[in-house]
Amino acid sequence: MDKDKKEFLKGTLDMLILKIVAFGPIHGYAISQRMKEISKDFFQVHQGSLYPALHRLEDRGWLEPEWKESETGREAKFYKLTRKGRKQLGNEMESWARMSDAVKTILGAVE
Amino acid sequence: MMRRLRRLFHKQTAEKQLDAELRYHVEGQTADYVARGMSAEEARRRARMEIGEIEDVKQECREARSMHFLEDLMQDVRYGARMLRRSPGFLAVAVLTLAVGIGANTAIFSVVNAVLLRPLPYPDADRLAIVLVGVGNATRAPASQFQLFQIRQRTKEFEQVGGIWVTNGVIPGDGEPEQVKVGFVTTNFLPLLCARPELGRFFGAEDEAPNAPWGVVISHGVWARRFGSDPSIIGKSIRIGANSAVILGVTPKDFKFIFPSDASVPANVDLFYPVSVDGSDPNGPGYLHLIGRLRPGSNTARAQAEADSISEQIRSLRGSSGASNFRLYIFPFQNDVVREVRRTLLLLFGGVGFVLLISCANVANLLLARATGRLRETTVRTALGASRGRLVRQLLTENALLGCIGGVAALGIGWAALRAILAARPASLANFSGVNLDFKVLAFTFAVAILTSALFGIAPIVASSRLDLTQSLKEAGSTAGRTGRAWNKLLVAAEVALGFVLLVGTGLLMRTFVNVLRVDPGFRAENVFSFQIPSPKYEMLHQLLENLAALPGVRSAAAVSHLPLDSTANWYDHYWKEGAKPEEQNSVMADHRSILPGYFRTIGATLLEGRDFTESDDAAHQHVIIIDDVLAQELWPGEDSIGKKLNVSDSPSGPYQFQRDWAVVVGVVKHIQCHSLTLMVRPQIYVPFQLAPRPMSVLIHTTGIVPNLATSVRAQVVLLDKTIPVSNVGPLSDTVARARSQSRFASLLAASLTAIALLLACVGIYGVLSYSVAQRTGEIGIRMAIGARGADIMKMVFGSSFRPILPGLISGFLLSVALTPLLSDMLFGIKPNDFTNYAENVVAILIVSAIASYLPARRATRVDPLVALRHW
Repeated sequence: MDKDKKEFLKGTLDMLILKIVAFGPIHGYAISQRMKEISKDFFQVHQGSLYPALHRLEDRGWLEPEWKESETGREAKFYKLTRKGRKQLGNEMESWARMSDAVKTILGAVE
Repeated sequence: MMRRLRRLFHKQTAEKQLDAELRYHVEGQTADYVARGMSAEEARRRARMEIGEIEDVKQECREARSMHFLEDLMQDVRYGARMLRRSPGFLAVAVLTLAVGIGANTAIFSVVNAVLLRPLPYPDADRLAIVLVGVGNATRAPASQFQLFQIRQRTKEFEQVGGIWVTNGVIPGDGEPEQVKVGFVTTNFLPLLCARPELGRFFGAEDEAPNAPWGVVISHGVWARRFGSDPSIIGKSIRIGANSAVILGVTPKDFKFIFPSDASVPANVDLFYPVSVDGSDPNGPGYLHLIGRLRPGSNTARAQAEADSISEQIRSLRGSSGASNFRLYIFPFQNDVVREVRRTLLLLFGGVGFVLLISCANVANLLLARATGRLRETTVRTALGASRGRLVRQLLTENALLGCIGGVAALGIGWAALRAILAARPASLANFSGVNLDFKVLAFTFAVAILTSALFGIAPIVASSRLDLTQSLKEAGSTAGRTGRAWNKLLVAAEVALGFVLLVGTGLLMRTFVNVLRVDPGFRAENVFSFQIPSPKYEMLHQLLENLAALPGVRSAAAVSHLPLDSTANWYDHYWKEGAKPEEQNSVMADHRSILPGYFRTIGATLLEGRDFTESDDAAHQHVIIIDDVLAQELWPGEDSIGKKLNVSDSPSGPYQFQRDWAVVVGVVKHIQCHSLTLMVRPQIYVPFQLAPRPMSVLIHTTGIVPNLATSVRAQVVLLDKTIPVSNVGPLSDTVARARSQSRFASLLAASLTAIALLLACVGIYGVLSYSVAQRTGEIGIRMAIGARGADIMKMVFGSSFRPILPGLISGFLLSVALTPLLSDMLFGIKPNDFTNYAENVVAILIVSAIASYLPARRATRVDPLVALRHW
């Protein structure tokens, strides 16, 4: 059960990252900041697990790294969504929507 | 994959980048906090804390990438090597076991590779086919010139069909006269098997012209030996008998014939004479061994279909060898050459496969024991976060490493085994050169090693995947896991089953060999000594025999054209009795042998009826023959054969000038095995030498070992005629031993394999049992503490060891019943399902198992309850 929950959260984290990167090339630190803003501390993403996730998504070919100058004028690793990544995001959002519909229906039925 | 490799090579860069990325994060966060009013130090502390232990994050990032595979592999190999080094005893036993199993396979595969897989060393070897004649009781007969002529006229599937016949002759040149093998070849024959001569040319159509000068081709050996490798030899004349011949060409150094053994074409033929193909005599003798080269795109099936229609046309020809049952058979040349050894080799290959399986079972057992012993290590690694996949992969790597070390050691053992096999090989394998550990064999060995490691590695891994962490921690020190023990039993049962099959097969082969040793070949080889001389004059031969018989220690001397079981070109021809219809006249054949009086006595054959030849049985008197009992029984069952007339083939006007002749039977002799110790190939007709002069083998029956016999024999020959070369001097028992070599080879190899297999199985059973006794020391201690006696413990241990042996024995029995019929062709005097053989081997397996179980069982009874319980 523990493991399943972990898998579930991992999937969710992947989807969030892909969603954030979908807005445009962005570096790791900025992603962590955006996540803080969006989630409004609703759930905490441990910063330590952000980077392994980024590397995993890159390894699967969903994200593409690009080293360029950041807003502070220093070289930073930016992530860009690939075509494969965009497709993956679509799939994940779709299945997420289906699941949340299902959850809503169940909750509605109980009500 | 490229991307991954690049990443592996750019690991340095990747590490730097990872470092930079994380530093950027921490510095960005710190700057942010400072901007919000924190002190620089506090800000850095918070940023660091939020991201966690940097090294952990880095490790996780690295693991997130699949390039990890190669790195893990290296790490696994290093780890595996360390683990193997740490238990040298295990390593030694496992490597040795594997090396024996894989090495045996390497050795046999080298032979299979050289004999069955590699094409014969002839140009377009895959298009060569052998053409055999079937007439009456013969299915592999040579063809007559007439038949070859007819085939050549009609064939569309063959590019070329040529023939050879080999006999003995004398080579001229420097020094002592020397007897050599002389090949009579059609002019297209040599180019079929040899791309180009070393010097000069081979025969051509021009050499068949009626007025063409007589040309000969000599072998590299004769050229070097007799003519001092004279580079200007081509075109020189040599005297052969009363004629002179021109040397046209020299064959290359490594050129040799690899023919089926029944063709009597030896590997080295030193002198070639051309034969023109004359289609005029439909009743001429069949003596040419035919080889054809198929047209590109044709195959033996098409050639056979064509040959069937050609046979039909030949049968319908007027005046053609009346044989209504004449047939042609076409086989791929290589298949036909190896047909005698193929089955032996494949069965041996199967046998070594069994040995390998037993080695696998043994190593699997060792690994199981080790896996249990390593539970603590595994458990700790799992607790530290290693995934199951990672652990399995690590085990697989370690096994593959073990397999490879075993493979390397196997090459050494394989090489040694191959030397031994080559030393013991029978004549049928002797012509195959290049039996060695080549690249293909190396590849095979390592493929087997890797496959083996997968095979023996499966059991422990499957067993380990059932283990539960907490259970393991509890069990680690006390008893083996239940699954482990079930696997042990399965493996022991498998070893017993495989060992039993090998035992049964070997038992059959050994009995066959014993039967071959005991078989009565119709003659006695002990104290008989023989040598060969080219066609002598009767008077000279008669004198020689008298002189030899007068030597001290010599009982009698005689001569025969064909020694039993020797490979001299056979002489066989048609025979028919008086009154046979024309279509019956050329249908059955018998071996014809030319002999001098006293032959039967000298060789210990039994004259059943009538008389031996006398000096006066020559061309001027009534032509007479002696036949064997097989022929007498076939022609005149229940009648007296003496005095009956038979039409046979002889040559009273000179060597090889064959003619049909009516002769009277004056004696019946017991059949002599001439071609094989175990098979009756053809009946025999004996003709007096005066009616059939030809090269002869002289036989001397002595009272015992006569010192310097060879020297005195040569001296006697020189005394009468110093131009006559003496060759193949040696005891007749050598010829008999050669005839047994195939059976000896098979039973020797099978026995060695089985001995290895039994030893391995014994070690395996012993290992499993000792281990289980060691594991159960505590339990046994308790049993003894509460009153069990030594005998009870012994019974218990024996009982538990025999539990897997019985099912193993039953499966082995069933397997043997299914497999041993494959041996039928190789057996003699015994049936595959021989009861005694089975019974003996069941007993043998039980004894071996008992021996393997005894030591551990004894050790169990020596357990001191106090000590056992203290350590439990």
